[in-house]
Amino acid sequence: MLQRCGQCGTYNFFPKPWCIECGSRDLPWVDAKPSGTIYSFTVSRVVAMNYPAWERELPVVVALLNLDDGPRMYAQVIGCAPESIFIGQRVVACFEPLGSGLVIPKFRPQTDESSSAPAGQR
Amino acid sequence: MRGDVAIVGYGRTPFSRAKPEEPVLSVDDYIAWAAELALSSAGMSKADFDGQGLAVAHAETAHTVNWSAATAENLGINAKVLIRGDQGGASASTMLIRAAAMIKSGTIDRVLVVGADTPLRIPSVAPGLPLSPERSRGVFWDFQGPFGIMGATAQFAFVYQRYKHQFQLRPEQTGKVAVNNRFHATLHPGAIYRKPFALEDYLQSRMLSDPIRLLDCVPIVNGGLAFVVASKESARAITERPVYLLGFGESNNYYHGSRSQPDITTTGFAQAVPDAFAMAGVARDQIQFFQPYDDYPFISIMTIEDWGFCDKGSGGAFVEERDLRFNGDFPLSTDGGQLSGGQPGGAVGGFMPLVEAVTQLRGEAGERQIKGATIGASCGFGGIPYGRPGRSCVSLIFGNDL
Repeated sequence: MLQRCGQCGTYNFFPKPWCIECGSRDLPWVDAKPSGTIYSFTVSRVVAMNYPAWERELPVVVALLNLDDGPRMYAQVIGCAPESIFIGQRVVACFEPLGSGLVIPKFRPQTDESSSAPAGQR
Repeated sequence: MRGDVAIVGYGRTPFSRAKPEEPVLSVDDYIAWAAELALSSAGMSKADFDGQGLAVAHAETAHTVNWSAATAENLGINAKVLIRGDQGGASASTMLIRAAAMIKSGTIDRVLVVGADTPLRIPSVAPGLPLSPERSRGVFWDFQGPFGIMGATAQFAFVYQRYKHQFQLRPEQTGKVAVNNRFHATLHPGAIYRKPFALEDYLQSRMLSDPIRLLDCVPIVNGGLAFVVASKESARAITERPVYLLGFGESNNYYHGSRSQPDITTTGFAQAVPDAFAMAGVARDQIQFFQPYDDYPFISIMTIEDWGFCDKGSGGAFVEERDLRFNGDFPLSTDGGQLSGGQPGGAVGGFMPLVEAVTQLRGEAGERQIKGATIGASCGFGGIPYGRPGRSCVSLIFGNDL
């Protein structure tokens, strides 16, 4: 779910106090398309300024991606070897539970099977 | 405002990597030490600043939010005007601009500008969690850390990766910048790393977050810097070698293209630089040296492009073709930069390019002195926005003659 400006329709991420485009404070949360295109990425090989538990996941692949609805976000890319990430790659969201009812969005390369996430996972 | 104010003194403390055998100095100690060096350089005393201006950069180890006022209190200065810089590595530059405006308005005649930090002494928020206060709240804590962002190096790696996708940049080119900075550091007694390395060493240094390597990163240190700025009339009475602020430009939260999907390969310097040149009334080819904010070699290269020294995308070729040494045709980071000099905290490293520009124009750069330097440029660059490079970009042009 993302904030979509009630005045100009711009989707805002990370959540903003008013629309960064038009300044409206009417920013309801709406369902958003769980897909996007990789704009840039990095493969982190050391943990820095973060929890030591990330060591278990190294190397960590993180993308800066253009969501289909417009805004840009950082997200970890999983299910993909670091060497095969590329700018322009299509990815779809999956949601990992963090406990206490929280989920964090991660992304996987889009395949025919993954191109539509089941309802209720957003 | 061309030439309305001049820098009349400066100081840079020795830096520390906080090794066990070293004396432990607080941020307040470094502020006072830097101020003492700057005042001594100017032949002034703290009494000259009662009823005048005091400017203070923010610090991670600031022990109160009223940091500029608390510093006035700690230094025993009854300041008429307080200026606070909170724009990260752009703070030194923006504080100079604010000081210039207050001096030009006639409110005050001079400002003591200080910045110090002891980032190696910040207590962690939790045992085993090496996070500073800045990384344990706000947008980094909520939307970056948990998403797998490994600190500033990863944040900048996205920019570098996108730049490589749109243009070209080879590690031999960024490596040349790193090697050049280390060479200059061998000529600067205050640099934290002074042992030269070769391009091979750079290329073999380990990859931290593709494509950023270990020798692309600044060493964090504890330390402080300061300078004194005065009206041009007073400057001439204070020193025989005033360094005039000829031009400045500032850009904050620049979007290259759209707000939602900006092109992150062009920085706010593209917006700030024209103002600086227009005010200074100098041509680009009159700039005799360039002191960028070198948090990463590729940022120095992007900065060179966004200042218009070459076309966008040609920065790699530019640094490859030019002789970047102090006695070459494009002297770059002649103090060794932060890459080899050290970064004394996120808001204080930005003093270094400015202080080096002043040092060169006063003819005080010793073994790394650029012969006959009369006009040069330095940069402020600070803050890491979400998904873009640099919240604040400041362009400064200095000269030692009006």
